[in-house]
Amino acid sequence: MNLLINGETYHLDVTTLKEVVTYFGLQEGLVVTEIDGKIIDRSKWLNTKVEDGMTIELVHFVGGG
Amino acid sequence: MEDKLTIAGIQLSSRLFLGTGRYPNPYVQNQAIEASEAEVLTFAIRRVNLSDSSEDAILQHIEGKSFRYLPNTSGATTAKEAIRIARLAKASGLSNWIKIEISDNEKTLMPDPIETLKATEVLAQEGFIVLPYTSDDPGLCYRLQEAGAAAVMPGGSPIGTGLGILNPYNIERITEQLNVPVIVDAGLGSASDVTKAMELGAEGVLLNTAIAKARNPVKMAEAVKHAINAGRLSYLAGRIPKKKYATASSPIL
Repeated sequence: MNLLINGETYHLDVTTLKEVVTYFGLQEGLVVTEIDGKIIDRSKWLNTKVEDGMTIELVHFVGGG
Repeated sequence: MEDKLTIAGIQLSSRLFLGTGRYPNPYVQNQAIEASEAEVLTFAIRRVNLSDSSEDAILQHIEGKSFRYLPNTSGATTAKEAIRIARLAKASGLSNWIKIEISDNEKTLMPDPIETLKATEVLAQEGFIVLPYTSDDPGLCYRLQEAGAAAVMPGGSPIGTGLGILNPYNIERITEQLNVPVIVDAGLGSASDVTKAMELGAEGVLLNTAIAKARNPVKMAEAVKHAINAGRLSYLAGRIPKKKYATASSPIL
């Protein structure tokens, strides 16, 4: 399916949000996710199904003042 | 009695809030954090770089004792955007503190007062510990306190300029007037600027560039730590009034 992730289109063979996070090799404890503008808590990643055309944001803390 | 900074009922071990951007490398950053003895560290929230996710996840590099995280909403140009970033930061599970930073001026990065006030109201209502970065307007700072800010953070001068405190009169009116702590944020360039902020009644300071971009960040971190103590003691001691003419300090024969 096609997903718009952080502004770029990706063609991924995944079913859950957890698989998306795993696909990119991200450290789970440091990433926050949003699907179509709604924050999805880490505890719900496994049960959150992703569907074709969804917009996903993956954000984390970076250095800043 | 111990003289400690308390924000939202939480007593902090240091009056320094330290930014985590722009250091030469993670090693120097950790050394500087240690030398500064800061407890509160600020961060920004950004998209993960999916082509190299290891490159900038800052928390991988922070070592040692437990810190209190103060994420900021930098990059936001409206209250709506800042509120979104704040909620994302909270969803990390690391902190419910938020530094509101809203600017639509890329050149000066000066904060938008109306949007900052709006975001402060909404996020304080939602239960965030809200610390707005604001311009040094006493009326606005008072309004931010009334809107639920746990501390108010007026800038001394624009972010990263090192111009120090451009309007000490305003900063002093703000510290006099507010009941919540005033943290001077932005523009401080060196230890003497920090001492000045504390002498004007600030309860703390937030620095990033002054330390990260000093020729020796670790030494500057240590200098700032001492500057805070010196300035705070000087404020508590109470300075002499300024006069036009001399008064002899030795007895006149």
